[in-house]
This record gives sequence, structure tokens and C-alpha cells, in this order.
Amino acid sequence: MTDREPVSLKVDDFDVDGAVREALERMPRSRFLGRTMAAGAAALGAVVVWPALASAEANSNDITILNFALALEYLQASFYTEAERIGALRGALAHQANVVGMHERAHVKAFKQLLGSAAIKEPSFNFHGVTENADAFRSTAVAFEDLATAAYKEQAPLIKSKSYLAGALAIHSVEARHAAWIRRLAGFLPAAHAFDDPLSDAKVVDIVNSTHFVTLKAPQTSMETNPHFTG
Amino acid sequence: MVKGALPRIESADQRGGPVVRVSRATLLKGSVAGVGALAGAAIGGAELAASADSSGSAATDREILTFGLLIERLQAAFYGAALAGGHLTGEARQFAQVVGAEEQAHVKYLTAALGSSAGPSPHFRFGDSATDPAKFIATAISLEETGLGVYNGQAVSLTPKTLAAAARVVSVEARHAAWARAIAGQDPAPVAVDVPIPVAQAKQTLEPFIVQ
Repeated sequence: MTDREPVSLKVDDFDVDGAVREALERMPRSRFLGRTMAAGAAALGAVVVWPALASAEANSNDITILNFALALEYLQASFYTEAERIGALRGALAHQANVVGMHERAHVKAFKQLLGSAAIKEPSFNFHGVTENADAFRSTAVAFEDLATAAYKEQAPLIKSKSYLAGALAIHSVEARHAAWIRRLAGFLPAAHAFDDPLSDAKVVDIVNSTHFVTLKAPQTSMETNPHFTG
Repeated sequence: MVKGALPRIESADQRGGPVVRVSRATLLKGSVAGVGALAGAAIGGAELAASADSSGSAATDREILTFGLLIERLQAAFYGAALAGGHLTGEARQFAQVVGAEEQAHVKYLTAALGSSAGPSPHFRFGDSATDPAKFIATAISLEETGLGVYNGQAVSLTPKTLAAAARVVSVEARHAAWARAIAGQDPAPVAVDVPIPVAQAKQTLEPFIVQ
């Protein structure tokens, strides 16, 4: 096992088509707050994932953050699901894809239930073959999981609702476990540093865009298109 | 937002340290169950704050970080004892070296943030948990998951600034837990969400390792 950093997905290596950014820009904002709060409150009781059954004090910024998380979970869930369907992985790697895929799909379900009608729709993905061989799968999975961990870390302190925050933190540490798991299988130190750094949403979106994995924009769920990201 | 800088908690609150400072006398008193006395002082207020859905305060931050420091000190001492024992080989030994150094960095980080209210470290004893390779890895899993579970549970009571700083540590604890599980032949991430660990449960896990 070595301490070298994995080959990450670099912005400059790809054309940036802006698909993810555009999808994320369509996140519902304040004008939908009333409806969102009702949906969130209704969903909360049904979602096992969210540990605290507090009042759904959702504000528009929380909704934006939860949709941002949902977009990342869509991306990951789709990646593992496709890898499993194609069946090119063997042994420990196939097991990792199976278990982590289940987790990411559970995260998607939880966010969708929580967000109700405010949830962004799933975009279409094209993973350009990285789900079809072990080496490409490993590198991409390492990048995705480290990216998700950093993204949650940036967003968590910005969440106002205590119950949403508790849920996001419970997922944040699982993403870190996923990162450690796949890093070990890829021959990297699972915990290479004493402190994990956060990553801004703009940088996360840039990195995701750079992969060209998102091929179709999510259908619009809001009339507002003015981009505004927190963080 | 200043990333990575854990605010100096002590100076942020003029009410001072005695609220949660655990004296050596309290620590050594014994009968009140070492960690109970220790963590009870440190965490009682934090749990109260959490249930009251407080938006956090410097005093609450300090209480939570004080308990976090106890866990980090215990972990750092545990890996130090395991390496000193000389019974670890292969990946378990590498794990103890890498993770031990990272726990020491966490101790330094929290000690700096807490200033004089950090107080002295208790003494620890690990017996064969640190020296028997099978017990070592099982104990490592338990300690790392206790750490991340407590952080996850208490984080909602932190001020956003301190939460941002603590989150940089939490995910590293999660990586440690996952790595230890992998070494033990278990799934590194057994469930889709990490359920927070109540402080009372964490105290039970830590108590046997603290010298009265």
C-alpha cells in the first residue's frame, strides 16, 4: 500500500458541458418553500434514515443543499448499479460495488422522500466505459467517494434544520467509509491524512462536469434558473 | 469560512473554563465511575443543548470538544501501546502506525482549541486489547466507531464554525473504522447510515480503559 494520491478526475482532461451545473441550477428555491415544508414534514416520518424526528424547519437553503446531495447520490447510485449490471467486476471489488451500490440507492431514496415534490429528477448518465473494467471502475470510485465526503463536509455546517443536519452527517461518515474501502482496494492508504478537507459546491460541480458522465439535463422542477450556490 | 481552523474555544467564551473542567481529583475519585464523572461533566450540558435544539454556544462547543479530546487521547494512547507491545505485524501494524499518528494530530488540534480547559490527560490501561492482534483490531473498530458515533450525535449541537472544524476529524475517524473492519475481514461500511452513538453508551465503551 502506498501513500501516493489516486489519479483524480481532472477538470482539464475533459470538455465541460455544464450538464450537471444546469441540472443543479434548477433546484427549487424560496418560492416553493411552503410546499416543500409540507412535503418534508410528511416524508420525515416515513424515512428511516433521518434519525431525529424534529419539526421540519426547512428553509430554501436547506432544500438547495439536500438537492445538491441528491444529485451526487444519483450519480453514485447510477455508477454502481451499472457496474453491477454489466458484471465485469470480480471478487472483493464486485462485493464493494454491490454493498456500496445498495447504500447509495438508499441515500437517493431517503433524499427523494425527504424532498418530496421539491426533489430534482434523476439526470441520464453515460459512464463512458468506466463501469466496464476493474481499473477504470476503481479509479472512478475512489474519486467519487472522496468527492462526496468533501462535498458533504462543506455543506453540513450550512444546514439550518437539526434533523436534516443529523441525517447529512450520518451519510457523510458513510461516504468516508466508502472512500476508505475503495482506496484500500485500489492500493492507496484508506486514511492518508489526519484531516479531511471540504470542497465547495462550485468545485464539486466542476469536477463532475469534467467527467461528461451527465448526458441529459434533469427536467426542470422550478421556474427559477438564477444560479445561486451556497458555500 | 475559514477551513480547517478550529476556533480557540476558550477565548471565545468569557464565562471561563470551570464549567466543564474536570479536575484531577474528580478524575481519580473512583467510585463515581471514572468516565462517568469525567464525561458526565463534559457531556451533560451538551445533551441538554441537543434536546433543546439549541443553535450552539461556545460553552457547548467546549463541552463537546472536551469529550472528543478524551476519545482522541484514549485512541492515541491505545495505538501507542499496541506499537510498543511489538506484537502487530503486516497491515495491522501499518494501521496502528498511520492511525496512531493521525489520532495524535487530533489530540493536538483539540488541545489547542480548548486551551487550558483541555486539562490533563487521564491515564489509560489496555491490557491484552493492545497486544493480542485479534483483540487489537476488534478494539480498534470499537474505539473508532465510538468516536465517529459520538461526533455524529453531538455535532448538531455545535456552532457552525466548530462543526466545520470537527467534520474534518469525523470523516477521518470513519476512514479508520472502515480500514479496521477491512483488516478484520468485515465490510468496511456495514450500513447505509452511521447511527449516532449516545454518550452513555460511549462511556461504557471507554470506561474499562481509563485508570481510576
